[in-house]
Amino acid sequence: MSGPPIDGTEAGETAERDFLKVSGLRAGYGQARVLHGLDFSVARGEVCAVLGPNGAGKTTTLRALCGMIRGRGSVTLNGAELLGRSPEQAARLGVAHVPEGRGTFNELTVEENLRIGAHLRTRGRWRGRGERAAVAADLERIYEYFPKLRQRSRQAAGSLSGGEQQMLAIGRALMLRPALLLLDEPSLGLAPLVTRELFEIVRTVNQEERTTVVVVEQNAQLALDIAHQAHVLEAGRLVLSGSAAQIREDGQVAEVYLGVPARSGQGG
Amino acid sequence: MRSMTAVLDRTRHGRFALAALLAAAVAMAVPFYFAPFQVFQLTMVLVYAVALAGLNLLVGFGGQISLGHGAFFAAGAYTAAIMLDRFDTGHLATLPVAAAACFLLGLGFGVPALRLRGLYLALVTLSLAVFLPPLLKRLEAVTGGSMGLTVEKPQPPAWSGLAEDQWSYFVVLAVSAVALLVARNLLRSRVGRALLAVRDNESAAEVMGVRLSLHKTFAFAWSAMFAGVAGCLYTWVIGFVSPDSFSFVLSITLLAGLVVGGLASLYGPLLGAAFVMYVPSVAQDLSEAAPGVVFGLLIIAVMFVAPTGLAGLASRAGGAVARRRAGAAASDRSSVAEPPPESTSEPSAPRTPVDPESVEAEPVGAPPRTEKE
Repeated sequence: MSGPPIDGTEAGETAERDFLKVSGLRAGYGQARVLHGLDFSVARGEVCAVLGPNGAGKTTTLRALCGMIRGRGSVTLNGAELLGRSPEQAARLGVAHVPEGRGTFNELTVEENLRIGAHLRTRGRWRGRGERAAVAADLERIYEYFPKLRQRSRQAAGSLSGGEQQMLAIGRALMLRPALLLLDEPSLGLAPLVTRELFEIVRTVNQEERTTVVVVEQNAQLALDIAHQAHVLEAGRLVLSGSAAQIREDGQVAEVYLGVPARSGQGG
Repeated sequence: MRSMTAVLDRTRHGRFALAALLAAAVAMAVPFYFAPFQVFQLTMVLVYAVALAGLNLLVGFGGQISLGHGAFFAAGAYTAAIMLDRFDTGHLATLPVAAAACFLLGLGFGVPALRLRGLYLALVTLSLAVFLPPLLKRLEAVTGGSMGLTVEKPQPPAWSGLAEDQWSYFVVLAVSAVALLVARNLLRSRVGRALLAVRDNESAAEVMGVRLSLHKTFAFAWSAMFAGVAGCLYTWVIGFVSPDSFSFVLSITLLAGLVVGGLASLYGPLLGAAFVMYVPSVAQDLSEAAPGVVFGLLIIAVMFVAPTGLAGLASRAGGAVARRRAGAAASDRSSVAEPPPESTSEPSAPRTPVDPESVEAEPVGAPPRTEKE
């Protein structure tokens, strides 16, 4: 399996370029092997899109990264091995996962949901008054990204619309102050306008906080718009890797794997 | 906006404090206006309320199930009785020991609870409840066997001029008030939030860094501790324990009481305790065989009429009244009203204004929407 080449967008050190380094990642459910050895890297502060058809293993990839399922091979984040850890331990290392279907806590209020995101920060090495103020400040910051959440801060998360729930899920993940943000199909079940708004916010977050993001999407156009790098996954293998622009330009591949009409530009 | 919510918080707190004060005043006056037997019944309501508050932590807020809480109750009761009978320690000393013992016992049982869920967990906890009474009979040297143990009730100090039943009532009132407050604060803390998150969505909670094993085990331990405290109070009030007082029916009655009172509601345990206490004794007046039948029929009726329990029914009624009043008030002084939108200041949110933390067990009014916007 040939490791896909990473174009040197910035000729930085390897540590920066391989902030997230996935090598030979294999994973599956019980007998069913889904991923057959993935190799890719994400540079610090970049957005990486993983694209591909249904059942290609996109969600499985994210689940393996955050420890929800067991993976083989090696995944390092800033040099620390992620595989073999529980989701809770991965979260401690700075991995924030926004699961498919949002996974908001529907009977808690919006604000309580966000505070769960800061669960790890209010104890252990972060314990103390200083951190409490920082959590309050972060809450404020999230509300600035997502003004709708502020309006609904005392409402039960279950009463939010789908788009608001997705915003909440992302906001909750940001409360962790993650080093790596994993977004699983954020556009699922949302209207195009809402999805676009959501991706814009993700782009802003990425630019302002320098959070490294891995986003898994079926909506290739949108994902490529905010991504620096992109990988196309098919049947558990990477079939194409490159910069977002390259992937977008690759007419044939785009047509076959992404359902994007070739050479039609980015559309409207 | 922020200052608005602060003001809102203050009025809520104010109202809560007023309600608490009123409740306290009523609770203090009660033993002077009722017959001793009625005071005893009220005392038992408080005892059961503590046990149900503990069970509520586990079942209502933790999303687990236990058919064995009668056993923790019994463990607390026997701990107190043995200490009083064998070691003559005095009543006050039995409370922390019973609490600690049951906490540890619960911690031990929390470990299998990690691997089992639903019916399997119910079965394992039920086995605990089934096997404890015979065990108590066997350990005759310590527990007094099937004869049980008779211990002294706490005696009112001479200066108080209270009768024994009144004194018991006040002692139990104090302990149960503290216990219920602890339960409430526990739920509002970081731990409580994590517990609710685990119940709502286990895997999402885990990826947020919530340690499932820790929180589930401790939910069991806390819950058992409350049951143990209730058991200890039981010994104080009744002054007698025997294996037959703690058959597995007690465990089932506790669970039924909680569900009827209202799962995941803060005052559901009180309502449930009243149900458990009064329904059988009122039914007894009808006929010897009536209690079981009436109890069962009433459970069915409550579940049909109020699937969120009596507490859910009460908060729904309260919400309707508040809405009506709010509507009238809004039309009265629509120009004088503060600028913020109604949605934040009025109880259109599923929480009631009186008790903002009372979450209902099942999101009857708020199904998660998946495809909207």
